[in-house]
Amino acid sequence: MKRIKKTWPFHVMLLPALICLFLFSYLPMGGIIMAFQDYKPWEGVGGSAWVGLDNFRYLFERQDSMQVIWNTLVIAVMKIVFNLLIPFVFAILLNEIRKTALQRSIQTMVYLPHFLSWVILGGILIEMLAVDGFVNRILAAVGLDPVFFLGDNNWFRFTVIVSDVWKEFGYNTIVFLAALAGVSPTLYEAAEMDGANRLKQTLHITIPSMIPITIVVGTLALGNILNAGFDQIFNLYNPLVYEKGDIIDTFVYRTAILNGEMGFGTAIGLFKSVISMALILVSYRLAYKWAGYRIF
Amino acid sequence: MYHKTMHYRIFNVFNTCLLVSLAILCIIPLLHVLAISFSSKAAADASLVGLWPVDFSLEAYKKTINNPAFLHSIWVSIARTVLGTALTLAVTFLAAYPLSKDNRVFRSRSIYSWLFVFSMVFNGGLVPFYIVIQKLGLINSFWVLVLPSTVNTFLVILMLNFFRGIPKELEEAALIDGAGHFKTLFKIFLPISLPSIATIALFSMVFHWNSWFDGLLYINNAKDFPLATFLQTVIIQRDMSSMSMSPKEMEMLSQTTVNAAQIFIGAAPILLVYPFLQRFFVKGMTLGSVKE
Amino acid sequence: MSDRRKNWLLPTLAASILLAGTLAGCSGGGSEPKSEAAQPAEPKTENVYKDKYDPEVTITTVWGVDPTLQFKNGETIENNVATKWAKEKFGINIKSLWSITDTNGAFATKLRLAMSSGQEMPDIVTLGTENQQLAQDLIDSGMFAEVGTWFDQYASDNWKSAMSLDSNVWNQYSRDGKRMGIPVLDFAYNHDYVLWIRQDWLDKLGMGAPKTMDELEKVMDAFKNQNPSGLAPDKVTPLSIGFKTSMNTWMGDPSWIFGAYGTLPQQWNVAEDGSLEYGSVNASMKQGLSKLNEWMNKGYIPKEAALWDENKTAEPAVAGTAGIIPGPYWMSGWPLLDTVKNAPEAVWKPVQIPTGPDGTAMRHGTQYTNGVTLIHKDMEHPEAFFTYQNYLFDNFAVSKEGGEFANGLFEGYDFELDANGEMVPNDEIQGGYVNVVRYLLVRDGARIPDEQMKALLKLAKGGKPESRLEKDVAVNYGKDTPAAAEVLLSQEEISKKDMFTGPVTATMKSKWDYLTKIENQTLNEIIYGKQPVESFDQFVETWKAGGGEQITKEVNDWYQSVK
Repeated sequence: MKRIKKTWPFHVMLLPALICLFLFSYLPMGGIIMAFQDYKPWEGVGGSAWVGLDNFRYLFERQDSMQVIWNTLVIAVMKIVFNLLIPFVFAILLNEIRKTALQRSIQTMVYLPHFLSWVILGGILIEMLAVDGFVNRILAAVGLDPVFFLGDNNWFRFTVIVSDVWKEFGYNTIVFLAALAGVSPTLYEAAEMDGANRLKQTLHITIPSMIPITIVVGTLALGNILNAGFDQIFNLYNPLVYEKGDIIDTFVYRTAILNGEMGFGTAIGLFKSVISMALILVSYRLAYKWAGYRIF
Repeated sequence: MYHKTMHYRIFNVFNTCLLVSLAILCIIPLLHVLAISFSSKAAADASLVGLWPVDFSLEAYKKTINNPAFLHSIWVSIARTVLGTALTLAVTFLAAYPLSKDNRVFRSRSIYSWLFVFSMVFNGGLVPFYIVIQKLGLINSFWVLVLPSTVNTFLVILMLNFFRGIPKELEEAALIDGAGHFKTLFKIFLPISLPSIATIALFSMVFHWNSWFDGLLYINNAKDFPLATFLQTVIIQRDMSSMSMSPKEMEMLSQTTVNAAQIFIGAAPILLVYPFLQRFFVKGMTLGSVKE
Repeated sequence: MSDRRKNWLLPTLAASILLAGTLAGCSGGGSEPKSEAAQPAEPKTENVYKDKYDPEVTITTVWGVDPTLQFKNGETIENNVATKWAKEKFGINIKSLWSITDTNGAFATKLRLAMSSGQEMPDIVTLGTENQQLAQDLIDSGMFAEVGTWFDQYASDNWKSAMSLDSNVWNQYSRDGKRMGIPVLDFAYNHDYVLWIRQDWLDKLGMGAPKTMDELEKVMDAFKNQNPSGLAPDKVTPLSIGFKTSMNTWMGDPSWIFGAYGTLPQQWNVAEDGSLEYGSVNASMKQGLSKLNEWMNKGYIPKEAALWDENKTAEPAVAGTAGIIPGPYWMSGWPLLDTVKNAPEAVWKPVQIPTGPDGTAMRHGTQYTNGVTLIHKDMEHPEAFFTYQNYLFDNFAVSKEGGEFANGLFEGYDFELDANGEMVPNDEIQGGYVNVVRYLLVRDGARIPDEQMKALLKLAKGGKPESRLEKDVAVNYGKDTPAAAEVLLSQEEISKKDMFTGPVTATMKSKWDYLTKIENQTLNEIIYGKQPVESFDQFVETWKAGGGEQITKEVNDWYQSVK
């Protein structure tokens, strides 16, 4: 009784968020059962035929199922890793720039690509990465053979990952910069007194202060373990690179979205959610076990 | 002082060069789009524009500014961004505080936080969501652009982690002084959380400014579209092989220069917000140190 | 440990309770349309058809608004010059249930959602071929009526004769011999293509238009290596084609190259034995593939062809660096018109599709239909729709001089006359041109498939533009359009339509995407020399075993049923 009294403000504070969650998240979640139906819009969720696990089976029964899932995993994992690593390093380096105006200008410039859609960027990339395009002319100037970045199975994933990291790293840096802004300058001053050089300060103050937020962002990013980035792949892939570039989402787009197969679409969504949830759970526990840190 | 040493100076020159070249690399495409928007249609359709306009022309901008739907959509976007962000900030700020408490202090905490995470990972898809929106009477209402995206679990978790970084002593001192949790939150946490609030505000603004699908689906009258939706209906992707076409229509479909101009005008307001928000990052730093 | 487990168990539990609660809500919502649809249609009395209805009748509909569609004078799709016209002329009140700007398939999504949430379905809905699957779903939903008998009963003679130009148009919308949707007719040959070639380059080289593949190769070689505009060989795209989306498309299309050797890829052709076969697995594909591979190596076609979509293929053409581009007869209006701004000496001329070694030539043909109109079975006055459409077919599709639509649909929208009564170009209409036919219930108003070509041929022979279509074509299409139409029709017999127009078959549903994927992959890899031409045989085996054979059987079953 006493405990409830003490914590009632907490419940009140959570109330607005919970109402929103209930209305816009949990109510619609009932639709998940469509994953087990041959959903027909005119029959509704109540009237559509039950098909058990057929929708899931279809994902795994195709000759190229494993290839598509593997492509998705590889691209997504690489993106998660580099979209964490590069902004992390970039934030530290940016922090070393002493001139505020220069620092802010760089920060603003690198965050710009985030605002261009892949429809536009796709067109620009196809141009720039053409066999006789800008990038290949630079390669030729240093004596390298031209590379068919978007049409070569050996290069496609690399191109996709690099271009995605390039587009997003500036935006992803913001979280780390906010974390750095929270570090008290007195810590650095004290270290300075002790005669620590900048490298030591970085290793012992800057990096540790960014670790918690890195774990958090990394764990939440695991929710994207099966999202390799539909918009990007859709605008860049072509028949030459299906082998390495076709991902779950492009495949779902072609088979489910275009044909209005909502049951199948929901099933894939559920499959992805379950995997994501499992990974988040595992990483939540690991973070607690090893770092003693509860992410949320 | 470390930044006087030789090593550090060399590093600094190298570092500055690296970051500046990265920054240049990042704005090249934007300059390209900008150049297209100032070029003539013939040059743009032939893909002859590089980083500098060919046959300089303001035609695309005139066409854009003269489109009444475009100007109105900017207002809708501003309204949804301001309201949506304010709402998200308020709700996130409130919710993150109890969730940042220790499990011993707030025992139901774990249940709540998993409720949030679960809602982030699982979703019912478009159909049931649409039905809910419809039953709530939000179809064709401005609020459909604001309310459903109020809670973003990612932002809540970000905020609660920032809160955890705040020294415990501050909070304890306030509580001992007899302040309630609400008072502590607004008097102590709010002022020193400005960098994190700025971050969350930025994420929320960008989200609202860029969202287009909700406008398209839930707003029936094209006049009330937010800017992003309006732009999406201009930059058209569709299967033209199955359409009845005439040169007139094809010409209207391929307004490369106008598209470029609109992308630029569309992104400009949100781009301008960032430099403004940047000052909060520094301010937060000094404030934090003063309080300690 | 136990504490932690409880922590995540509880919310899961809570979630499942919530879930169960919502299920009830959803199923309630979903069952509504069903019960509605279950009501039998009311028996219709005879002789209800009128030229004007008094009291007024109401037709409900939904709109997928073309993003390029303009509105002026404060009008909307719900209330505009066309809806007022229908009200005054026929006493028909067109009521819009909802409208959506149709970009990225939004219309289909919205219609499916409207159905799922049990919203009122429209009396009349028109769907384009891009929403083919949705149209089939709607027919299968049982909410829409059999329209064949109504069509026979109410449609005007003009409309009926237009519909009978090609008996196949009903096929894809028929179920067990019942005609469930009225096909929307389109102009014939609209997506057929000719080759557009740089006549100025030919002239300077002293060469004639290429008639065969061999001559074509000589021309391409000359364009590239002795470019008349003085362009370096690696700057020239002798033949601008792309395969990103398909080998069978509308601009920058490569299908005729295979056609010269006897097959058209990615469509169903009539084989020698009279059955249908899928073009891409025909053995003669190999010759086309080795040709393309050779051209790729020689630089006759773009190195990035696999990445190029249709609009991309137009870029070098407009830039003045491409020599040949396959495309529709109307391309001289757009995009080629702009070429002179980048290359002032450029002159584009349409030429025939070249023939292969044995004199064969093929190009893909255009269906006479580009969509379907469905009528809800609870619609009170289906005859009103025919009143509306009949009038358009009788007065708009074949406009006579001096008739209501002699110059266009609505003055000040899609046409305007100057002081002398002459039609002004679209760009000069006060307040801007509006493609007002898109305001009509059926999106192109009314089209008789062969009218457009008739009009163009007349103009090509030096005729004076008299009818609405002739004037429209003369004023608004590029100046070479009549000539291109003539070239197009001079090879009428080589136009081959996709012969399979039925609903997606059972095996297609589960296997087609994979088959298309390996097909695109193999064709492209052979062209790029990543696989030898011989691997085509391997692909055909895989294709057949992977469901292709079964699909071919199903397609032929369908073909037999409609033949």
